[in-house]
Amino acid sequence: MRPFDTLTLMQFMWAFLSIIGFSIRTNLRGWRVLFTGLGGGLAWALYLIILYYSNSLLFSIFGATLLVCIYSELTARRIGIPVSVVVICSIIPLVPGSGLYYCMRAYLAGDMAEASLWITKTLMIAGTIAIGIAVVSSVTNLVNRVLNRF
Amino acid sequence: MIRDIREISDIALEVGRLILQSGGTTNRCEKMMTSVCRVYGFPNTQSFVTPTGIFISVIDADLNISTQIKRIEGRYIDLGKISLVNELVNKLEKSHCQEDPSSCLKPADFMKRLQDIDNYRPYPEWVRTLCGGGTSGFFCLLFGGSWLEFIVAFFVGILVSFTMRLISLLKMNNFLINALGAAMVVTFAKLLDIWVPFIKLDNIIIGGIMLLVPGLSMTNAIRDTMSGDLVSGTARAVEALMISVGIAAGSGSMLKIWSLLGY
Repeated sequence: MRPFDTLTLMQFMWAFLSIIGFSIRTNLRGWRVLFTGLGGGLAWALYLIILYYSNSLLFSIFGATLLVCIYSELTARRIGIPVSVVVICSIIPLVPGSGLYYCMRAYLAGDMAEASLWITKTLMIAGTIAIGIAVVSSVTNLVNRVLNRF
Repeated sequence: MIRDIREISDIALEVGRLILQSGGTTNRCEKMMTSVCRVYGFPNTQSFVTPTGIFISVIDADLNISTQIKRIEGRYIDLGKISLVNELVNKLEKSHCQEDPSSCLKPADFMKRLQDIDNYRPYPEWVRTLCGGGTSGFFCLLFGGSWLEFIVAFFVGILVSFTMRLISLLKMNNFLINALGAAMVVTFAKLLDIWVPFIKLDNIIIGGIMLLVPGLSMTNAIRDTMSGDLVSGTARAVEALMISVGIAAGSGSMLKIWSLLGY
């Protein structure tokens, strides 16, 4: 799959629509759901694009998380909702729900090697997302403090 | 203009309760509470918030202290409520209350606005259930499902959203709710699998599970830890871990039961 073709666009659309669904389900109202949905779509599209160029799962998760957190910090204040709300909606597509299921399925099939492979992958993805959020939120704190000082 | 210290501390507590109960970060909760108190003329306010309780003590110019503690129970995700409270407090901060006390919102009116936010339901229940179905269906497509699987995942999502609402009326703990939710996902997917031919269950079940994943707890845990609230950061991280374990346990045991039944 090449990046920037129709398949990536369709994947972007599906992440976009599902995050809009998630936002409405958590009572976010009005046109703001478009921005949180865009965050979710961007997260998944960036993940696919970086994965194509770097061939590294963890690096692409990290890059997508980083960029999407920057996107949330930039937009959230403008549209008048807290930053954490946009971050929560945006990273949902990256959260490794599939790894959890595949691990459980492999374990039930008695394939311990495969199960431990999946659980390691799941934990590593979760940790990578955590590092991405941590980097952006602490850098933003720093930038805000410096901007307020001068 | 001297305001009643009890009234202000009640208002701050209500702001904190709304934010914390609907899944906001504790850092934001503390900030909002102290800024409400500052606007109403109590700049020396101290607050300490953990995910399960709020402590606030408001100090006035004569060193009278009013301290209140509130236990928070029954948390649920409601991002709309957080945004509304955030908007209201920001508007209050920008209204130049210190210079001109008559222009700003009266505490009683502020309290009434908060109660309106508490009772505000922007969408009817069937829209939210339908959106649960949509989320589940589109996640199924995202992870490589076909259109037929999309339709099945859509119905699984609707059924799970509906039953989760019934389950949440029982006020169980987080672990059990998520374990039951994941078990529901697998059960409905397997039931629909009996009637619908040519579908693979993996993508449908993953689509359903994505409705339950602890994205909120994870984000809040990291953001809390990074802003220095170690207690709530650790608590949220454990919550995220327990939710994941619950999902794995629920879906796993249900898969095993179905395979024992021979489907």
